[in-house]
This record gives sequence, C-alpha cells and structure tokens, in this order.
Amino acid sequence: MSPHHFHPQPLKKKFFTPGTFVLMVLMGIGTSFGLARLLTGLQSVTNLNNSYPWGIWIAIDVACGVALAAGGFTTAALVDIFGGKKYHPLLRPAVLTAWLGYVMVAIGLMFDLGRYWNIWQPMFHWQGNSVMFELAMCVMAYLIVLTFEIAPSILEGLKERIAKNEWGAGLLKKVEKPVLVIHSWIKIILPIFIIAGVVLSSMHQSSLGTVMVISPTKLSTLWYTPWLPLLFLLSAIMVGFPMVILESISSSKGLKRPVEMELLEPLSSKIPIFIGVYAWFKFGDLAFRFNELNFVEYPGATVAFAIEIIMGIIVPFILLSMKSVRRSKGWLLTSCLLVIFGVALNRINVFLVGYHPTFAKVNYYPAVGEIALTVGLIAFLIFLYRFFVNYFPILPAIEEISEAEPSIEEKMEKEEHIRPVTAWVFRGIAVVFLLTFIILYVVIHQKAIKASSLTYGEAFITKILQPQVEEEKGSPHQFRPEKYRNYYMMNSPLLNEKISYYEPVRFSHRSHDNYVNGDCGKCHHRVGDSSNRIGDDLKEMHASIEVKIGGSCSNCHKDLAEKTFQKCGDCHASSNEADYPTRIGLKGAYHRQCIGCHREQPPTTKAPVDCVSCHHPITPDHTELIKMAGNISPQAITLQCLECHPKVGQDVMNSAHWNWKGLTPSISGHEHSITTGLLMVMDNYTISLRPDLVNSSALHIGYSPKPGDIDFNNLRSIDCLVCHDTTGTYRKDENRGGLPVASVNLVEVAHKVGRPSRSNCGLCHYYAAGGPNYKHGDLEGEAVNADPEMDVHMGMADMRCQECHKTSAHQIAGMSFNVPVTEGRVRCESCHSETPHGITGYLSRHLDDHVRTVSCETCHIPSFARKAPTLMATDFSTAGQDRTTKLDSLGMPDYNKNQGSLTWGKNVVPVYKWYNGTRKSYIMGDKIDSIDYMELNTPQGEKHIPESRIFPFKLHTAVQPYDTENNILVPVKFKDEFEKNNDWNKAITSAMKSVNLDYSGKYGFVKTGMYTSIHHEVVRAKQALGCADCHRVEAVSCKRCHKNAQGMDELSHTQMMYPEVKNRMDFKSLGYEDDPAIMGGRFYMKLGRGKPPE
Amino acid sequence: MDRRLFLTTGFAALSGAVLASETKSSENREIKAIESAQVGCLVDTTLCIGCRKCEEACNRRNNLPRPENPFTDQTVFRDRRRPTEGAFTVVNEYPGMPSPDQKQIGTTHCKVQCMHCLTPSCVSACLVGAMTKQMDGSVVYNKNICLGCRYCMVACPFEIPAYEFSEPLKPKVRKCEFCADYKTKQGANPACAAACPTETLVFGKRQELLALARSRIKNRPDRYLDYIYGEYEAGGTSWLYLTGRPMKEIDLVPMPIKSPAVTTESIQHGIFKFGIIPMALYGFLAGLMWKNRKSEEKNELKKTEQTERGKQ
Repeated sequence: MSPHHFHPQPLKKKFFTPGTFVLMVLMGIGTSFGLARLLTGLQSVTNLNNSYPWGIWIAIDVACGVALAAGGFTTAALVDIFGGKKYHPLLRPAVLTAWLGYVMVAIGLMFDLGRYWNIWQPMFHWQGNSVMFELAMCVMAYLIVLTFEIAPSILEGLKERIAKNEWGAGLLKKVEKPVLVIHSWIKIILPIFIIAGVVLSSMHQSSLGTVMVISPTKLSTLWYTPWLPLLFLLSAIMVGFPMVILESISSSKGLKRPVEMELLEPLSSKIPIFIGVYAWFKFGDLAFRFNELNFVEYPGATVAFAIEIIMGIIVPFILLSMKSVRRSKGWLLTSCLLVIFGVALNRINVFLVGYHPTFAKVNYYPAVGEIALTVGLIAFLIFLYRFFVNYFPILPAIEEISEAEPSIEEKMEKEEHIRPVTAWVFRGIAVVFLLTFIILYVVIHQKAIKASSLTYGEAFITKILQPQVEEEKGSPHQFRPEKYRNYYMMNSPLLNEKISYYEPVRFSHRSHDNYVNGDCGKCHHRVGDSSNRIGDDLKEMHASIEVKIGGSCSNCHKDLAEKTFQKCGDCHASSNEADYPTRIGLKGAYHRQCIGCHREQPPTTKAPVDCVSCHHPITPDHTELIKMAGNISPQAITLQCLECHPKVGQDVMNSAHWNWKGLTPSISGHEHSITTGLLMVMDNYTISLRPDLVNSSALHIGYSPKPGDIDFNNLRSIDCLVCHDTTGTYRKDENRGGLPVASVNLVEVAHKVGRPSRSNCGLCHYYAAGGPNYKHGDLEGEAVNADPEMDVHMGMADMRCQECHKTSAHQIAGMSFNVPVTEGRVRCESCHSETPHGITGYLSRHLDDHVRTVSCETCHIPSFARKAPTLMATDFSTAGQDRTTKLDSLGMPDYNKNQGSLTWGKNVVPVYKWYNGTRKSYIMGDKIDSIDYMELNTPQGEKHIPESRIFPFKLHTAVQPYDTENNILVPVKFKDEFEKNNDWNKAITSAMKSVNLDYSGKYGFVKTGMYTSIHHEVVRAKQALGCADCHRVEAVSCKRCHKNAQGMDELSHTQMMYPEVKNRMDFKSLGYEDDPAIMGGRFYMKLGRGKPPE
Repeated sequence: MDRRLFLTTGFAALSGAVLASETKSSENREIKAIESAQVGCLVDTTLCIGCRKCEEACNRRNNLPRPENPFTDQTVFRDRRRPTEGAFTVVNEYPGMPSPDQKQIGTTHCKVQCMHCLTPSCVSACLVGAMTKQMDGSVVYNKNICLGCRYCMVACPFEIPAYEFSEPLKPKVRKCEFCADYKTKQGANPACAAACPTETLVFGKRQELLALARSRIKNRPDRYLDYIYGEYEAGGTSWLYLTGRPMKEIDLVPMPIKSPAVTTESIQHGIFKFGIIPMALYGFLAGLMWKNRKSEEKNELKKTEQTERGKQ
C-alpha cells in the first residue's frame, strides 16, 4: 500500500462481540470498586497505609500509563518532524492510544487523589519547586495537545457520519458548520502542537523520574540515582515504537485485518538503537554506583531488578538486532512485548518494588479493589480503542476500499480551503499561546527559586511564648524548712497549681538520706563538685551569672545573714529565661534531680521513674459523669462503673478480695494451690466462716442475691462503692446479703468516688472477728485518725494503705497470716533499703547488722493494741451458759454466750518467732497432731536457715471443739443453730453437713493457738527498742570492743527503752545458747568481741 | 536517526552539567538557612522517662481523638509506634543496654514527631504549596488547596506525614505543625515541650539549642554521644536530638547531609532554567520539521515515482 493512497477508515464492524462483553464486565467490577472508594475512602478499598502512601494506582495507572503512552509522541516525531512519512498509517492509532492512555491516567488519578475535587488547584497555586507540579502541568498541557492531534480523526468521523447520513446524522447536521470550521483551524495549527507535544512529552517523561529522586532514603539503591529523569526519558523513547508495533499487530489480529509488516519491519529496526542508548546510560550509571548497590537487603527487589535488566533490556536488544526476528510477526511481537514489559516493570520497580520505607511495619501488596480498578481501567481503555477505531477513521483502510474511491478526507480538504492570511493568524495565535505557556513556566520557576531562598534563608526574630505558668518569683517554699524534717509533702507553686489533679508528692527525706549514704551533695548543689550529679557545676554556673550580674553573693542570697537555705526556685524559675536561657526551670530541675538519680539505681531498689508513683492522680468528680438520680439499685451503679471502666470488672473478679481464695505459695504443702482460701481454714475467733455464710456474705466485696449465697461469678454483683466511697456513709447490711443499708444515698456516694482510704479498708479489716481490733491487734479503728504515737506511717505521714500494699489491677499486695492468699509482698525494705540506719551515727553499723536476723517490726513495734484492747484468748468450751457478762479491767466483756469466756489484752508485748515467709496452716479436714495443744498456723523458720528472721506475732489461744473419733477440727454453725439451742452436737452436725465432712457424733475440746503477724503500729525511730531491751545490759557495753570510747555508753539506744517489760526476747527458745550479743550471732563466731563477763 | 541520538546525548550532557552546577548554589542556600535564627526543640533522650505527657499535651492542643487507654498506659511501648493521623507525636521505648562505653543504663525513650526540616522535602514536593515553611521554621499544612496526592508522604525522609485514609471526601494530611499559630505569624511554645516534666524537650532558638547541646556534650562526655542528630540531617532540622547510645538503636536513622529537596529542585530548575532547554528543543524540532516539509514538497513527485517503481 502506498502512503499516498493511505486513507484512514472507520472499521464499521460488529462492535458488541463476546470480547467486548468481557471488557464491560471488567469495567463494571472496576466501577463498583471505584464507587466504593469514593463513598468509603481509600482505607476500605486499598492496602495503602502511612508507610506506603502510593500503590499500584500510581505505579501502574499513572507511571506505566504515562510511559506506555510514549508511542504517541515518538511516532508523531518520526512522521511529522523527522520526515518518516511512510509511517503515517501508524500515526493515528498511536496518537489515539496515547490520548486514551492519558485519559486513563487522569481517571485513575481521580480515584487515587484524596481531595480529587481540588484537582484544579495547581492551575492557581503554582509551586515551581515541585516536580509534581511540573508533571501535572505538562501532563495537562500534553493532554490538550493530544486532543488537538486526535481531533481531526474525530471530526472527520463526524463529517463522514453526516455525509453518509448514518445514525445520529440528523443531530450532527445542526452542528455541521462549527465542526467544519474547527476542523480547518486545527488542521492549520496542528504542526505547532505536534512539536509542542514532543517537547512536553520529553519534559514530563523525564519529570516522572525526578518524582522519586526525592526519596533517597526509601528507594532501593538498585534504582535510586539522580539520573532517573534521563533514564525515564530514554526508556520512554525506547518503548514508543514497540508500543506502536504491539498495537498494530494486536489490533490487526483482533479486528481480523492483515498485519502491516512492510511498515513494522523498518520501524522495528530502529528499536535496538534506542535500547542501546538507554542501556548505555543505565549500565553506565549502575557501573558508576556499583559500590553503593545493595543486592542483599531486599531479595525480592533484586530478583525484580534482574528480570528488568535481562528480560527487559538485554534479551529484546539481542532479538531485535536480528533481521529474522524483525521479519517474523510472532518474534517481533514477542520482543516488543519484552521491551514494554521491561519498561513497565521498571516503573513498577521504581514506584513500588524498590520503595522500602525504613519504618514500614507491613509490606504493601495491592488489594483486590486496587487490582480490580486497574484492570477495569485497562479494560475501559481497550473498550474505547475498539469504539474509536470502529466508528472513526483511525486505522488505515484496507486496500480495495482506498483504491476504489477518493477518501472522504480528501474531499473535505478541498471544501475547507482557508485563505493563507487567516491561516497565518491562527498559527500566530497558537505560537502566542505556546509562548505564554513558556513565559508562565519561567516565571513560576524563578518565583519558586526566590521564594524558597526567602523562606529558608532570611533571619526572622520569632517571639517565643512563655509557658502558661504564673510563676511567683521568690515565693516561699515551705518544703525547705529551717530544720531537717524526716518526711514531708512537697509544696511548690507548680505543684499546688495541679492540686486538683494530683495528690501531693510524699517525700521521705530520711529514706533518701539512707540511699545516698548521708551525702547531702548528691541532691543539693554543692559548689565545686559535679560528680554523679545532674546539672551544671555550681561554681561554673555562679561564674557565668556573676559575669552577667557583677554582684556579690548577697545579690541573690539575700538572707545570707540568717543562714537559711537558698530556695531552689530562686534560681530555677521557669525555663528559657532571658538572663540564662540554658538554665532549666523548676519543674525540670526537680524531675531531673529525682528521676536522673532513680534511673541510675539498680532495678532491685525499685526507685520509681513513672509518673504515678509520686504524683497520684486525683479521681475526678463523678457528678457529671454519672447521670443517675433517685432511688436506684446498687447493681445499676456497678453497671454504670463498668461502662466506663470495662477492664476493671474482670480485674476485680480475678482478685483475692473477690474470690476469697487464690495462690498460696507461703503455706507449706499448698505452695501451688489456688483453691486454698478464707473458707478452707479454721480460726480461733469464729472457728470457720463457711457454715455461717449467711452472716459472712456481708464481708464479701459484692452483693449476694440472697443472704448466705455469695455470687462469685457475676460482674453485676461487684460492690465498687464499699472500697471507693469517700463520703464515709456507706455501710453494708448484714441481714441483706451485703447490700448497702437502706439509708445510704447511693447516687451521692457514686458521685464522690475516689481512691480507697484507710477508713475504706478499715471498714472490714479493723473489725475482723467481730469488733474493733479484736483479731489483728495492730489494726485498730483508731487508725482512721491515727496519731504519730500510734503508727508513724499512718499518723505522721498520713499514708494510705495502698502506699505499702501496692495495688495494680485490683491485686493488692500483702497477705493475712491466717489466710495467706498472695498478690504481692509488702516489705519495709522496699522503701527503707537493706541498710536503713545509715546516718544515725555510731550505732548504724550494728543496727544494720541486725537487719539480716531481725525484722524491722521486731524493734520498731515494741507492743501492739496500744489504744484498743484485742482478744487474747477464747474458750468455746464455756459457751452456751447463761452467765452474766462482767466487764474486765480493760472495760471489755469477759463472756459471750456464743464464744464462751474471753480474755483481753492491751499494750501487749508480741511473741517473737523465727519466720522465713512460710507457715504451716491447718486446712479444714486435716488431722490434728495433738489433742493437748495445736497451732493453726505455725510460722516456719529456724535459726540456721538464712532467710529466717525474728518477727513479732500476736498469739491467740482458744479452746475449740474437735471430732474425737476422726481427729479433725470441726466447724460450728452458730447462727440459727447454736445460738438458739446451745447444743454443740446439733451445731456441729449441721455445719459438718454443709462442708461435706464426716462427723462421728462425738466431740471434745482442744486448745489451739493462732498467730497473727504484727506489721502496723510502728513507733517513731527514737521510741524503737534499745539494745538492752533484748540483750543483757552488760553485753551491749560499747567499751567491750571500743576500748577508748568516751561517752558512748550514754547513747540513748544502748539503754533499755521499755524497762517495764522483762525478758522480752527469749533467746533460748529461739535456739540460741545464750544472748547472741555475747555468744556471737547466727553466722559469725564469737570473733574478737571480747569475752563474756565472768 | 543519528540526529536523534545526538539530540538525546546532548540533552543528557547538558542536564548533567546543569545539575552539577546548581547543586553548589543550593548548598549555599542551605548553609544560610542553618545560620539563620529559627526556633527549634532539643530532645535530650537521656532525660526522657517515657511518661507520655507530651503525647497527652499534643492530643489536647490539637483536639485529636482521645485514645482508648489513658496516656498513663505503658503497654503501648510493646510496639514501635509511628506518628499517625490521630497522634502527631509518639514516644517509643528502646530497652537494653546501650553500647558498652556509654554509661547510661537500660531503657531509652525517644520522641518522634515532624522534624521541621530547614529545607523540607514535603514543602518542595507539594504541587500546590499546601505545605509551607513558616517564618519561625515550622512546616504547616493548608487543607484548603491540598489535592491529597500524598507526594509529601513519599518525599519525607523521616516518614512523618500521616493521612486520613478512612476519610472518603475530605481526607487531610496530618502531622505536627509545631503548634504554630500562623494567623499571628508567631511561633508558640509547643504543647509537648511545655508539658515535659524533665525538660527533655527544650524549646528555643535553634542556634541557642545547638550551643546548649554542645555544652552538654562537653560537660558530660560520659553521658552523651558526641553528635547532635538533626544538626545536618537532611539539610538540618529544627528538632535536635541528644542521645546516650548509638542513634540507629533508637530509630534515629542515618540521613544524607543534603536535603533530598535540593537534588530535585536542582534538576528541575537546572533543566528548565528560563525555559531555555525546552525552547531550544522546540526551535530545533521546528527547524527540522520545516526542512523536511520543504524537501518533501520538492521531492513529492519524485518520491511517488520511486515508491511506485519500487513496488513494481
């Protein structure tokens, strides 16, 4: 076919073939995903995330779309500029493909852009520094150019339609005139736009590469190079002709037309040259950067790289260099496909495969929706291509038709002749349009360059706002007292400002003295010593200030004459102050001073570095949060609590306070048991709680559906208020199964919930065994308003229970000695360290030596039950008699009909026993070992075991019933049984039945002892036991060893502090031969400590 | 075809030359920027205790959605978090001993947020200028003109900007904006720094912060690595980091000294300087076309005869 007889013709074949329907189905699927994206956002349809902001919609729809549309500008350049007229038949399909390609890019972008409705913004907001801006403008301009280039085909198609009076001609006839005019205009100025198209393509094909140059840290070294724009341009040129060949062959096949091999063969001979040029630069760049290339880091990327290089560059280069390949239709198609595949893979590699964000948590793989939309778009492209070639003159006509009659195009051209002057005017307008574009372009660029240097370069004084803290300079800090204080609440303006959010910070000065071995300079600035302290050296700091102020010490230290302390806040006020901007503010100074030191401590010291250990947040007022009023059930309040604190319900149900049982590692023989608990042990006060659940259900932290039936499995039954009430009005009703007494205003209590205080815990624990201090001896009702004489922690430091009984997730540390369910241990040493006597002077070493053998409580709790009497003995064998109750010397009743005769004690000296943290407990059903005297819970520990230390205990004795045949202690049902008929046998039978134990029917009485450990009622340090309280006076004479000591023996603590108590420590029963101060301690010999006096 | 080859090689050579020359001038600009008085923030990671007060303050200042668990929840440290559309700053925990010659013990915490680069890549990348660098040094976002193309996220070397992927119609790019109130053109004391209890975060002029950091390194060589992260990273950043252990261990990844934006801007302004290269290309192609058309018209008859003869 001669080029001169080339006449593009519409195919006019059947349009709706099965293939078209497949395309439409794919388009339909893509559209549905596209709609889903528009309606629900990118998240639901794509796998994009903050690490991978771009997916295949950018890599394939945009990057590959632009690259593969390169056939348009290369063919246009070849045919219209470089004089390759014979290739003219290939031009129109190539331009059509390019135009459709860019339309697809635009549509794809509309789905990918988050704020697609803003797409017009780049036209008015020029950002010349942005590669993306350049790309957007070029693509937009090129799309216009392509529209001009494709317009003649469309317009000719429309004209033909009119001429042949086909479908739609009637409507078209009305616009015939403008169609003709536009066609003639475009024909004139088309060459100008063709050149512009080539230039614009070169620009944006290269800019597409520059896009990823901005990501040197993310793009793999295999692809990242500043030469990416050049490589992109060259590869785009390279892929142009293969695309044209692919289109030609495939559309010929698909539309059943002969393949134009006589055109394609010479065209393909040019491809190896382009591949060669591209490969030259590509390999040159790789060779130049060879040392940087990292083939190991991402194996997948390396494979993709190898495929791109070998299959996309080397193989097609070799194939297309061979003439035989170029002449064979199949081989030509294969090698062109390889080139296209190579370039597409390159784009995908650069935009996706090689993109490795450092902090990505998951790798990106395209989602179904992304693939579907991409496939749908490609289907749409093919569909449109089919549509246009079918109805518009795009493809060259088959010979017979073209030779039969002159084409409509030629006929039209004759009709539309335009005068040369008019033509030149049009050309002029087009040139002006292009020039405007160029000028705008230059202006934008220059403006951008200037703007960026203005923004980044010129100094600008910024006003720095101070923090919104009103700092009163020189305000008094009450926490710096005139005299050293052991313990205090921190008080500073900064802290007081937050007083409604945080409880005051408690600070034990004394303990901290111990930690730093009495070195005050560890915390307080000391001139000339900066070792191990955070912050500037004071000497240097002073020097720098004095240079500025030029004054003397008293300039700042105004109260120097009175020799009071300089306040911290005088220097450290707020941060960033004008006179010395690098000096830290008071808040920072304090936190750093504390935390800086705490962080350097070994983990065993448990020095807190978190916020809440020091600043406990105050529970906010719940009035606004709990919108309830009137008469509501307590369970409704629990549900309201759980609504906002959902986790807490499960926490409570996992706790020992709820389950009344749990892990008991400290009971010998039951170390791994989790079923031992309150209902499994026997005690001296109530014998057993189990038969009397009717009574005891009020002791549970829950609401029972009916008295005696404790509901352990229902979240709704949790009684939040009993522990969290701050009004002090909440009480549980014994007769209503633990429900609150009717008079409590539940709503008000719920509005005022807060952290449990000593009175909340005390509500149950102070009243153990039926009355204040009856059971524990060291937990008196007085503890609510304790004074320092009673307990130094509660009275002087006003500490809450949970400050020692550390609580997390409603698991409360500490354990009862009788029911030792453990959720954490409480040790004095956690706060006071293993060497707590650090700074007391001469004695400290000797006292610290004791810590290994003697618990802190032994010396620091000289006696218990100092305020209220405690029960010391109960004789159940005398119960049930109608005896008149008398008050004893302590004012306590000596008899109770249910419990028998009672013995009371006040200010009781404890019993001292070795104790290693475990005990031997009597569990219900155990055989008793002696019918004379048995202990329910013997502390384990012996002198020779290193973990054992001497602890103080309260020992309560009782005479309680047992089964004389089975030799087991028996529970007794008091309520409804013994208290009515005073019959032991009936009460025991009923109780034994309820606990499923065999009862022989014969009972006797056995004397039992029960220990309760003493931890509370700690006295002030100066009231602790003296040496002579335990040791013989002659044994603790300092002069035994310190021969030259003068006046040492007058030290207060060597004296006897409680002379009224004789033989406090029975060393013989503890396993010593004699006073260890004379005979030597557990683990050392008598040493050179002098001989015991004769 | 030779002409074409010549053209492309020429184009490449030219662009290369421009690229090289332009890089130099951009670096000068960068140095000028470092010397200027911009605000910044110094993060002394050896002082950070991981209390997450900064996160809380940021959350409140920016009216972000409250997280499910309170900010005192320390279990979040199980993950290495990144700033998201709902949290512009996050603190991460890095357990384990630092390198043996460093004294600081155990866990390190490191805060992550927008670094507010001196030469921000996101600002350079944004095609409509929705990201702008303010006079005080903060990099802020203007949602009204944003297209949502997410090129800023690709461009950011620190991988900071986050995007509201779940928002169908009006998704925004979200990141720390240095609590800058750009209506008054004033920098503000950022909420995180104001809330920091240990003054791990110090807000001030960048110059002064650099001096402060250097003095800390000088005074406590046992505590600090002799390196200020952010002084030169990616062309310098407003946020500076001091550490007691190798930066890489706590996700302060190595960065090129040059901002990536400098490279792309050099290429852009180099190739398209005054539009010379595009115009030259246009002129060259136009000339070629003109020449070919002339010769074509002349030889039209001849050519036709030739092809017809060839066909026969």
